[in-house]
Amino acid sequence: MINFNSTAPVKLKGVGDGFWITVDPSCPEDVLKSEIHKLFKNLKHLAVNASVVIDIGSAKGHDDLIENIKSYLKETFDIARVSKPPKKRSIPTERIRQRDLSKGWNHHKSDVLMLRGRVRSGQKIESRRHIIITGDVNPGSEISAGGDVIVLGKLAGKIHAGCPDNENAIIFALEFKPTQVRIGAIAAAGIDEEISAKPEYACIEGDGIVVKDYMKTNPFRKMPWPEAI
Amino acid sequence: MEGKVIVVTSGKGGVGKTTATSSIGAALALEGKRVAIVDMDIGLRNLDVVMGLENRIVFNIVDVVHGRCKISQAAIRDRRIKNLFLIPASQSDNKDVLTTSGVERVANDLRKEFDYVIMDSPAGIEKGFENSIVGANEALVVCTPDVSAVRDADRVIGLLYSRSLEPKLIVNRIEPARVERGEMLSHEDVLEVLSIDLAGLVPMDEHVLISSNTGTPLVLQNDSIAGQAFKRIARRLNGEVDLPIQVPNNNNSMWRKISKTFGFNK
Repeated sequence: MINFNSTAPVKLKGVGDGFWITVDPSCPEDVLKSEIHKLFKNLKHLAVNASVVIDIGSAKGHDDLIENIKSYLKETFDIARVSKPPKKRSIPTERIRQRDLSKGWNHHKSDVLMLRGRVRSGQKIESRRHIIITGDVNPGSEISAGGDVIVLGKLAGKIHAGCPDNENAIIFALEFKPTQVRIGAIAAAGIDEEISAKPEYACIEGDGIVVKDYMKTNPFRKMPWPEAI
Repeated sequence: MEGKVIVVTSGKGGVGKTTATSSIGAALALEGKRVAIVDMDIGLRNLDVVMGLENRIVFNIVDVVHGRCKISQAAIRDRRIKNLFLIPASQSDNKDVLTTSGVERVANDLRKEFDYVIMDSPAGIEKGFENSIVGANEALVVCTPDVSAVRDADRVIGLLYSRSLEPKLIVNRIEPARVERGEMLSHEDVLEVLSIDLAGLVPMDEHVLISSNTGTPLVLQNDSIAGQAFKRIARRLNGEVDLPIQVPNNNNSMWRKISKTFGFNK
């Protein structure tokens, strides 16, 4: 029995370097085989050594049917490989459509790398984005960011912000005791004096790096509002 | 019940790994546990010298890993302390002769026969270090209050964490007088940077040098303050987790004398 109401039980299309056949698993196997035979006979030498994907659409199971078609294809048409369709990645299209425009950052790919924990000697954190660390940064560690470096803790490592040439980047820490700071292409050695722990930041002023007290001058004042794409 | 494999490591050399290994091992044996201490510093062995067992070495850890002898043949029994065994390193090989899988297998075998297996790791973070931590269940990081030792200990702690070992810290060679004068980092400074659990604080002690050179276990000398500190560390490892940590203090300090006379002493 052939179901004439639905579309063709077997459909063929070329995908990349192989073929994609969509079969209707509700059809009897011999019907499917004869349909496949018709299609593949026309392909002639193109079918030799090709890779074929068998797609049964949204139907589940039918593993033995696929196995049978697979061996049939391999025997009759010298097909190289037969496989099932790759698992589709679910795209949350509907959610994206529903999102509130004013809360764009819910789906926004962050331009900040945020890490939690202690950065220890010998560790190197590199990113082309801004880096925020909630934790201490020990001496002997290295941080290199394309943008700002913000440390919510004690900063005592070697820090490079604005790598390679962003001179607007800042380095901020609640306790600012780095061994070396670099912003863009300018470097400065850390000062080895005991000062009381207070939030400070380093930025470029003129052609050198200056360290300022956060309580007196706010580096974030000039920043624009957060952009969400 | 299977025993525990504890690795003693530091990163930097000369901070007292070998002393800590032998002392903690001896102290645990004195507590009545069956203890094996294993020298993993292949090519530069010295645990046997410190323990005074050098002249009794027949087989070593390399022979055990390569299956050339049994564990019982390589383990040297200490005659002074019951239940204390030493598996020495080989002096003629280098660190590449061991494989991590081989060491792991031997560590698991040792765990079945002993309550505690204490491994003395070599300095550095190369193959020898990898080999010594591969079979470990616990790790002790030894650190002296020097900036360079703290830096290296920090690196090692990071490496241990990445192998899901949670190390405990031993601050060795504390000189209370120097700390008081501000010439040396205090154990608080060290802990602030390393921020791991403390296993114990060990003061500077001349007895360490003497006992290493004469090959007598430090913990058998009752007047050694370092020996006492290691004994307390061993008790803490052996389940007495509530044993308070004693901060080495300087009894000769002027301020302490004054406070003693006025009865302010804590």
